Amino acid sequence: MTKPVKSGTAAVALGTAAVMVMSGCSAMGGGSGGTVTLNMVESLTNPTRTDLLKDLIADFEEQHPKVQVNLISPPTEQADQKMQQMLQSGSGVDVLEVRDLTVGPWSTNGWLYDMKKDLDGWKGWKAMTGNAVNAGEFIKGHTYFVPYGFYGLSLFYRTDLIKEAGFSKPPASWADLEKQAAKIHDPAKRRYGYAFRGGANGNSNVTAAISAYVADRIDPENGYQLKDGKTIFSAPEAQDAVDMYFKLFKKASPKSSVSWGYPEVVEGFSNGSTAFLLQDPEVIATVRESKAVTEKQWNTAPLLTGPSGKTVQPLATAGWGIAKGSKHKKEAVELVKFLSEGKASTTFSKKNSLVPIQKAAASDPFYKTGPWSSYVTMTKNPEKYQNVVQPRSVAWWTEWEQKADADVQKVLLGKMTPKQLLAEWDSFWTEKWKQEK
Amino acid sequence: MPASSAHTTAAKEPAAARPTHPKGAPPAPGRRKREFTTRRGLVIAAYMAPAAIFVAIFTYYPMVAGSQMAFRNWKLADLTDTSWVGLKNFQDVFADPAWGTVLTNTGVWVVASIVPQLVIGFALALWLRRRFRFRGVYQALIFFPWAISGFLIGILFRWLFNGEFGVVNDLLQKAGIIDEPIGWLSDPQTAMAAVIVANIWYGVTFFAIMILAALQSIPDELYEAAALDGAGKARTLFRITIPYIRTTLALTVLLRVIWIFNFPDLIFGMTGGGPNNETHIVSTWMIKITQQGDYGRASAIGLLIVAGLLLFAIFFLLATRERKEARSR
Repeated sequence: MTKPVKSGTAAVALGTAAVMVMSGCSAMGGGSGGTVTLNMVESLTNPTRTDLLKDLIADFEEQHPKVQVNLISPPTEQADQKMQQMLQSGSGVDVLEVRDLTVGPWSTNGWLYDMKKDLDGWKGWKAMTGNAVNAGEFIKGHTYFVPYGFYGLSLFYRTDLIKEAGFSKPPASWADLEKQAAKIHDPAKRRYGYAFRGGANGNSNVTAAISAYVADRIDPENGYQLKDGKTIFSAPEAQDAVDMYFKLFKKASPKSSVSWGYPEVVEGFSNGSTAFLLQDPEVIATVRESKAVTEKQWNTAPLLTGPSGKTVQPLATAGWGIAKGSKHKKEAVELVKFLSEGKASTTFSKKNSLVPIQKAAASDPFYKTGPWSSYVTMTKNPEKYQNVVQPRSVAWWTEWEQKADADVQKVLLGKMTPKQLLAEWDSFWTEKWKQEK
Repeated sequence: MPASSAHTTAAKEPAAARPTHPKGAPPAPGRRKREFTTRRGLVIAAYMAPAAIFVAIFTYYPMVAGSQMAFRNWKLADLTDTSWVGLKNFQDVFADPAWGTVLTNTGVWVVASIVPQLVIGFALALWLRRRFRFRGVYQALIFFPWAISGFLIGILFRWLFNGEFGVVNDLLQKAGIIDEPIGWLSDPQTAMAAVIVANIWYGVTFFAIMILAALQSIPDELYEAAALDGAGKARTLFRITIPYIRTTLALTVLLRVIWIFNFPDLIFGMTGGGPNNETHIVSTWMIKITQQGDYGRASAIGLLIVAGLLLFAIFFLLATRERKEARSR
């Protein structure tokens, strides 16, 4: 048995060598005849999005005949790590997708190019919403990426189920949600109130509830801090928020949602068994494809408010940036500009189900009607739906998410009280901020 | 995974071949023998060289380069400070309160997976050895799971075991075994059992393949002789079949222990280590730490895994060899 394996290994090794030599050659031949080849790497890859990007790139190449763009699309799960390796090696990347999660570490390590000067006086900024312009300086004083859109929460709800339960309007506050979901919830009929996220990233909904309850006192520059410098988890209102939120689990959610991650919560809503779901707008497309729920049976409502009638939009963002090691920065800036304005930008956010960055979107019929309208409502009322910067770019963010998710599950399994959870989270962030200073 | 282990075995060959080369002229062996040590040795080394060089560059160098991270402050969030910190990363690993659970889980995961895999795989191999109609089709069907990626199997089983919409609960309820759906993956008590069931389903195949191959090498005459001597089925199994394939069994078990130990795909696909970190094993724990960006600590865990598995392999091989010698005496 050993013999064929050995020769197989040698063949594979030789094959790899051949492939590497060949690909090495093609990567080096970039600058023939005065044309410039830009390598562009995306991170949140999916096949439809890659096709869309290729179309946009084709338009760009048509306008800039001397620039060619080579799009690299690593699978999403490994993309950020692949990009880190490329950035660390210092070459091979010109334009890249930078996320609020990655901008912090990547800029600290000196891998990203600051575009602030290049984009000074650029007309594109004027066409953008306030949120977008702010996100353009995600790290104060520097432009490491230009946002292409936002991922924000809204409440997906079943119009027919709330009517049956005797409610005339979808919930506007967290307290309403708890009431309506509990009334609709009936496990014997396999009907559930709320698609509770107890698994991966379950912490984000808990903090969304907490920030709604402390909306009056929250620091707009740091979503986990109050204006007086303490953490949002230390506020007495936070206790009300977690009590309410975990009651939602006990009274209105399927038992096994302790382990529900993204696929399960979306499935729970789109297979017709669950009445409420808190999710990003990309789910609109998924629910539209559902055979169990028709277009007339569901809609979205703006994010739920706290007792003060206000709430906090935990906007997540990403955009296009440039590697510091790039040798073609001028052309790279052109590409970033092209993707961030006009038709290219609108097409990208529409087909990708993103909250748009263009002001003009508010009057676009696509956003004015149906499930998208709640996002426009939120953008138009920044007093009620406050935009607060989430501290997602801190070095310990992944550590935090993993710890917070485990703690949420501990509470759900009865191994920790909501009060202990808040104390843990408060001391975690207080400690980290202290270390930072 | 099988490919990487093939790499390591292949890589050891040239190292073993090289020392024989300088000692090229042993005291007057036969002509054929001298030819082997000089020219043939060189030829063999030349054939092996490409593989050896590639394995050295792509396996050993990264291994060594990665190992040194275990003794440095290597955090992805800030690579400007990568100073040497001695054994601090190892201390951090042991100081983590979850580490104990992770170790226990790893033990349970390996033992509870491998025993049923071996038993069921053996039974399947015995059954497949017989000649019956459509045997080829059955073989292909049974070997099929081995061709699927572990992560994909994890995702499939995640839906099968889903508490509300899963097939497993549905079947159990229809069969009248349970009244209420069980939240398999959301209850720490059942989550580990569920991932192990998935792993057994996946791994039985490998044992069936390996054992069947070994069984086919047993000469039929032995069975005929045993039958003539009046040996029953059980006796034939323990006196002929098992002793004859003992080496294969031992090696397969060794390989599988190492692979199951290093098999995070399925757990990641099914539970991601949850609920409440209750289904993490050492290799998923290492990936979790890597995701946090702490490459130093992850590398320390990696070294611990290598050390643990090396010790295990040595003891296991010694134990099985001793038994063989005792038998020949």
